[in-house]
Amino acid sequence: MSERLDADVCVVGAGAGGAVVAAELAEGGARVVVLDQGPRHDPDDFTARPPEMLARLYRDGGQTATLGTPPILLPLGSGLGGTTLVNSGTCFRTPPHVLERWARDFGLELDEATLRPCFERVERALSVAEVSPELAGANAAVARRGAERLGWSHGYLRRNARGCVGSGVCVFGCPTSAKQHTGITYIPRASAAGARIVTGAEVREVRVEGGRVRGVGARLAHGRRLEVRAPTVVVACGTIHTPSLLERSGLADASGQRGRNLALHPATAAFARMEEVVDMARGVPQSFYIDEFAAEGIMFEGVAGPPAYAAMALPLTGDAHANAMSDYRRLAQFGLMVSDSSRGRVRTIGGRPVIRYDLCAEDVAKFRSGLARMRELFLAAGAREVYLPLPAGLPPARARARDLTLMGFHPLGTARADARASHGVTDGDLALHGVAGLHVADGSVVPSALGVNPQLTIMALATRLAFRLLGAPVPRAAAPSRSRPVPATH
Amino acid sequence: MSGGLDSFLGAAPRPQRAVLRLLVALARRPRGAALLARLPLAERAACSTLGLGRYDDPAIAAALGWDAAAVVARGRALRREEGRP
Repeated sequence: MSERLDADVCVVGAGAGGAVVAAELAEGGARVVVLDQGPRHDPDDFTARPPEMLARLYRDGGQTATLGTPPILLPLGSGLGGTTLVNSGTCFRTPPHVLERWARDFGLELDEATLRPCFERVERALSVAEVSPELAGANAAVARRGAERLGWSHGYLRRNARGCVGSGVCVFGCPTSAKQHTGITYIPRASAAGARIVTGAEVREVRVEGGRVRGVGARLAHGRRLEVRAPTVVVACGTIHTPSLLERSGLADASGQRGRNLALHPATAAFARMEEVVDMARGVPQSFYIDEFAAEGIMFEGVAGPPAYAAMALPLTGDAHANAMSDYRRLAQFGLMVSDSSRGRVRTIGGRPVIRYDLCAEDVAKFRSGLARMRELFLAAGAREVYLPLPAGLPPARARARDLTLMGFHPLGTARADARASHGVTDGDLALHGVAGLHVADGSVVPSALGVNPQLTIMALATRLAFRLLGAPVPRAAAPSRSRPVPATH
Repeated sequence: MSGGLDSFLGAAPRPQRAVLRLLVALARRPRGAALLARLPLAERAACSTLGLGRYDDPAIAAALGWDAAAVVARGRALRREEGRP
């Protein structure tokens, strides 16, 4: 059985990029259809219990992993909101030095002044504000104490949250709906403006004829098929799945860059046993940062969670693990993220993305340095013991790539934007080189590691794309207008 | 195995699912645990997975100061009071 929809724009994916494009276009008067592979989650089903929520809110139960040395887990959200549903809510604008590099190396005209209205608009829509010390909780206070004693640059993070009470489970589904993920912000706006939101739709191909996009074909539940005919398609399946969809669709890749240039911001975390009660899950888990070593590509950010999460992350085994967990209330944790120079690749094998990524020597050196400083931080804060994510007894200075336990929360770059068709998959307007009407709006277009959490960058780029499609400037007023022109369909 | 842990393992891609189930089964047997003790990476993976299930138990979590049901109830009440989505 087959169903057909007609639209001005079909958006594939309802995460950081797709939801923003969909809402702005729908409010601008376009007929928009949004297709997402995952479900619409009801916050009444959030249980604050990690194993259950991992299975329900994440692709592959949060166990998508890279091949390579070391293997790296890539937790990706599933459902309306995409990874914004399960991230920590941290909001950074794109650092100016990164924008300068994009202009220099990729020919992208994206300076601070150009993007400022986009960032401002997104920040208003998501209620982005700095976390207060009280809400940040004792886990952040430990890191702050250490940073102050060492004289390291630090601060409280800005987050997309409204009415947060510090439930401590941002990454397992916010039970208060305080986190302003795109599933409860932009998607309802899109829907209210008339967009059709279809969940459980697995887009199999983007249809292109004569060099221009014609729509997409998708599979629905029970073997039903859906065809969406649209002169404009925005692919926003995320950095891992967007190149797979483009490849499956048989689109030419003149640059040879599709699926390449994968950056991950590989990350790890250390624990410390403190004298005081920390209760790490009381407060905002990611509320504090230390950017003293940002110029070296090393960023420290808070991370924490309930006992089940801590037991999974604690780098110990056997009796040592049980002993540390018995003192969970005094455990503190902090994360270390590297702005990577390593580059991986996504290929599609048997219909599934296969991710290859090997950590280069330069990034291993960043982890050695970062882990040594993490120990220093916790000791300065008064830790009784520090548990680094390394094999027992191995000092950070001797760690090799295979000794590291890493996760990657920010995959970027596999359909990178470059003004030159010979170097990038998309151009500076996020249009696929060589195909009229086909655009990409997710982390895959981000051409380099950012060194900071990327959701705001992705959303700002998506905002810019939406208004370019509408043929209108990004408004500076707070309230979204409903009287903008429909998108150009040439 | 707890329902939550079973769901977690069931959601994993096939290769990881098979490996993690094997590791968990080994870790629960004395001879299996002894074998894992000689394979640090495998032992760590087994310990992490078992820990995820064990400390998710409400009684064990409560002893460590965490009450998931209370967190969820507070969230629901706030959403209803303030008309949040």
